[in-house]
Amino acid sequence: MTTLVLVSHPHLADSTSQQFLKASLPTNADIVWEHIESQAHLDIEKEQAQLRQADRIILQFPLYWYAAPAGLKQWEDTVLTRTFVYGDHRYPLADKELGIVVTTGMPAKAFQRGGAEGLTLDAALAPLAAVAHRAKMTWLPTFAIHQFAYLEEPEKLQLVVDYQRYLTQTQPDSLQSRQTWFAQKLPGMIDQLPPEQQATGRLIEAEFAQQQDDLDALADTLSLIKERDDD
Amino acid sequence: MTEQSQWLQLQIDKLAEQQAKFTDRAFWLALKEMVREQDRRNDQLSGEVDGRTWRPDKW
Repeated sequence: MTTLVLVSHPHLADSTSQQFLKASLPTNADIVWEHIESQAHLDIEKEQAQLRQADRIILQFPLYWYAAPAGLKQWEDTVLTRTFVYGDHRYPLADKELGIVVTTGMPAKAFQRGGAEGLTLDAALAPLAAVAHRAKMTWLPTFAIHQFAYLEEPEKLQLVVDYQRYLTQTQPDSLQSRQTWFAQKLPGMIDQLPPEQQATGRLIEAEFAQQQDDLDALADTLSLIKERDDD
Repeated sequence: MTEQSQWLQLQIDKLAEQQAKFTDRAFWLALKEMVREQDRRNDQLSGEVDGRTWRPDKW
């Protein structure tokens, strides 16, 4: 699966959250990363080709006045031409997933009716969701990072992997999808361990697979019982 | 929590501690959380299997 990450930020180098996310990008994955404002001029053909090649498209930005920064709007207005998106009835973006990674300076609880912002993130992002709808894309649940500067180390550690999963894991984000993601990632992680740690890594991998099998077996037993109960 | 899972979490913890790189440590610690989630689901499913198997009206 190819994931295209389009980052919009007017001062990327000064943003600790964006630098953190860049350092967290998954390795051993097919990721194309681009900072929109770094492009001297937007090469429409190149941008559209990147969109065509991606299976999942991520728009990543800080929320400025309940919207994406101006750079992203400019990108949209330049690259997402009517003909490209739907004008010729070919819908090249159809069935691709569109995910939003948005950082906010206010806490999650501010984004609800009665909250300090009085507006949900879904409402603020409605114009982007409408673009996805028009292009027949699949809109993913938004990945919001609130008040990055206040996160403690355990939260930041968790954020690394949550972000990686948002970029590369199969949706929906179920237990099954999560288990599969970890199982697929494990061999690569074990390979890069120092030799003396690899045996432990392999034991962990085997045990993890066993736990997964046990869960599957339990779920099978349960569905058998349920079928019988229905009779 | 099963003994098997306790052992697994301990091994993951030890491995995570040895990782110098932040993102590597993040992976192993997230795997530990994943194992905890498997555990909780295992408890819930086992409980439901027990509950459905031992129904007094089926005695």
